[in-house]
Amino acid sequence: MPQLYLFALASQNAKWLHARQSLVAENVANANTPGYRAVDLKPFSTVLEKAGEALAVTSPAHFSGFGDAAAPSAPSDASDATLSGNSVSLENEMAKLGEINRNLSLNTNVQRVFHQMLMTAVK
Amino acid sequence: MLDPIQASLRTAVSGMDAQSVRLRIITENIANAESTGDATGLDPYQRKTVTFASEVDRLTGAQLVRVRNIGVDESPFKMELDPGNPAADERGFVKRPNVDMLVEMADMREANRSYEANLQVARQAGELMNMSVNLLKDV
Repeated sequence: MPQLYLFALASQNAKWLHARQSLVAENVANANTPGYRAVDLKPFSTVLEKAGEALAVTSPAHFSGFGDAAAPSAPSDASDATLSGNSVSLENEMAKLGEINRNLSLNTNVQRVFHQMLMTAVK
Repeated sequence: MLDPIQASLRTAVSGMDAQSVRLRIITENIANAESTGDATGLDPYQRKTVTFASEVDRLTGAQLVRVRNIGVDESPFKMELDPGNPAADERGFVKRPNVDMLVEMADMREANRSYEANLQVARQAGELMNMSVNLLKDV
């Protein structure tokens, strides 16, 4: 039986989503704090690449497995900062919130189904 | 360090706390928009302002928000001719509070919006926790 990385991958992804959720909470709470700069995590795909679980490529034309699944978040630059030096956009944060919700829902459902599959095989 | 979901719940609560203090100050300003002094030459109600600062939560390492200070608006008072008022000076002018209803209303809407956003984050933190717990449901 081949090694199954799915659960390790799923829990890593869940950790990443949880961490992102707490950053969104910080941004929203500080939406009116002068001088506060919005923060975000690096996309999950780059986290994966560092972990060495992505597919190895020998040419830039190859697929890198998880590729661009997570679009890189727009870096918050000075242009969208308000007069008080705050760069939080509530709309942006709400969109991220929805994204986290969807992704974690997908994550937990995949885990459940995968677990069911394993149990079917065992029984 | 606590888990990130609990950290986000605490952060959202700190945001709601800060916004409700802001809402309280706005309410005080609106309630006192007509409060003049009660003797000749006395100053009327002075508009209050509220400022926020972020602070690191020692328990979770998250950036919470807190009210830095509640100050007063130093802009000049409006003068109005009203000789019958007890606060009128010898020329009959009364100092009116430097509260602008329009500004307070706009500020109130913003506080409302920020509070709602924090509430949404708190709600979602609960949902995410539920998702993880529900994995155990039909094992």
